[in-house]
Amino acid sequence: MNDMRKIEPDVTKTAAKITAREVNVHYGDTHAIKNVDVDIADKTVTAFIGPSGCGKSTFLRCLNRMNDTIDICRVAGRIELDGRDINHKSVDPVQLRAQVGMVFQKPNPFPKSIYDNIAYGPRIHGLAHSKTDLDEIVEKSLRRGAIWNEVKDRLNQPGTGLSGGQQQRLCIARAIATEPEVLLMDEPCSALDPIATAQVEELIDELRQTYSVVIVTHSMQQAARVSQKTAFFHLGSLVEFNDTDQIFTNPQDGRTESYITGKIG
Amino acid sequence: MNEKHILTAFDRDLDVIQGAMIKMGGLVRISLSDAATALISEDTNLAEKVRAGDRAIDALDQKVKIDTAKLLALRAPTAGDLRFVLSVMEISSHLERCGDYAKNIAKRTIAMAGGCEINGTPAALGRMSKFAETMIKDALEAFIQRDVEKAREIIARDVEADQIYNTLFRSLLTHMMEDHRNITVGMHLHFIAKNIERVGDHATGIAEQTVYLVTGDMPEDDRPKQDFVTPASEGAEN
Repeated sequence: MNDMRKIEPDVTKTAAKITAREVNVHYGDTHAIKNVDVDIADKTVTAFIGPSGCGKSTFLRCLNRMNDTIDICRVAGRIELDGRDINHKSVDPVQLRAQVGMVFQKPNPFPKSIYDNIAYGPRIHGLAHSKTDLDEIVEKSLRRGAIWNEVKDRLNQPGTGLSGGQQQRLCIARAIATEPEVLLMDEPCSALDPIATAQVEELIDELRQTYSVVIVTHSMQQAARVSQKTAFFHLGSLVEFNDTDQIFTNPQDGRTESYITGKIG
Repeated sequence: MNEKHILTAFDRDLDVIQGAMIKMGGLVRISLSDAATALISEDTNLAEKVRAGDRAIDALDQKVKIDTAKLLALRAPTAGDLRFVLSVMEISSHLERCGDYAKNIAKRTIAMAGGCEINGTPAALGRMSKFAETMIKDALEAFIQRDVEKAREIIARDVEADQIYNTLFRSLLTHMMEDHRNITVGMHLHFIAKNIERVGDHATGIAEQTVYLVTGDMPEDDRPKQDFVTPASEGAEN
């Protein structure tokens, strides 16, 4: 209520949240992403699948300008969030990353207390005006991260003391504490056991009610379980982008078929 | 579809399932053919053999179902592999039903033994059975060759099977109306005709699975139904 960014964007359920057009990425001389066009829908889980080195993580990192941090990386093309060019010089990447949150493969909690892990983002973005505000944000984020009941009695203990699955949910709670509109997840379950994976997948499904979620995963079964849309990347190109059930029952491109059925492409 | 899986055990599992299905198709064709021969030649021994032989078909159906369930659970097939597994499960059920029809024909042959005859009908049923058996053979070939055109041709062929059945139905009805002593045999022969007609429907079902396997869509059911089965005398009035 104290945050101007909390105003609900005027988009319908099927509207595109992120629109990418002719996106090309070069790492030095390597052409990593080739002319990718894609529309990421709001309140939908979109999965990026493809073999290692196909560019799916690179493309994901374009969506919140994480590639800016790599010197030899050049991004060309147009990426819009709610119709606004995210690469425009007027856009502050730090502010953008609060809007487009990210969760990484390995849980990376700050070496701080559980409370401070969550409170860090809202503090630096000035989202809380009092201790009560901040307490509220921390509790709400931990509840949304489906970890509140497990940590409510030890908020002052270090986040690094939690189990792997709990740490990952803590990181997801931290990402959503700044009230992002899009959540990017780069293989969020590959370091987790099946139970923790199921908990995170359940959480992703709940988050879909509020956010647009984009997930990069090596597990095709995970993509099939959690996403509504799937994009298949191969050698830097977006080969096929369609409804997940269509991709997994009747893909239209032979390369998609070869990849998802485990054949040599 | 000729590409191999990186995991060769996956290909082996799929081959085993398809192999059991092909074997089942072979047994069903032999059963149908033997049932027709037993009917025409009134050979109750052969009919008995057909009856007993259905157990082997049922056992193969069970094997296909168990193997496909295992494959679904362990290999989580997708796309073409998934459609293949689903198709084979369907085809196995179709073949199992055809085996039941052959067995039923054999049972009726035994029941009719020594009774009165309706001239010419068993021979006509034999021809009809050959027609349906060829449909099964071609449908399985189309599936193995992933030949959609051939499958569509088989689907179209079912109209002919229905027409043969309708003609036989009228003829049998006429015989039964003419002389009520024909009714017992007439009813048996009619059920046999109906069984063979159903075999044609199952062959069509198998052909539809080929279309699904290759295209991902089931063919639309726009086959004309030839269902007006009035006796010849009534038909003549219309």
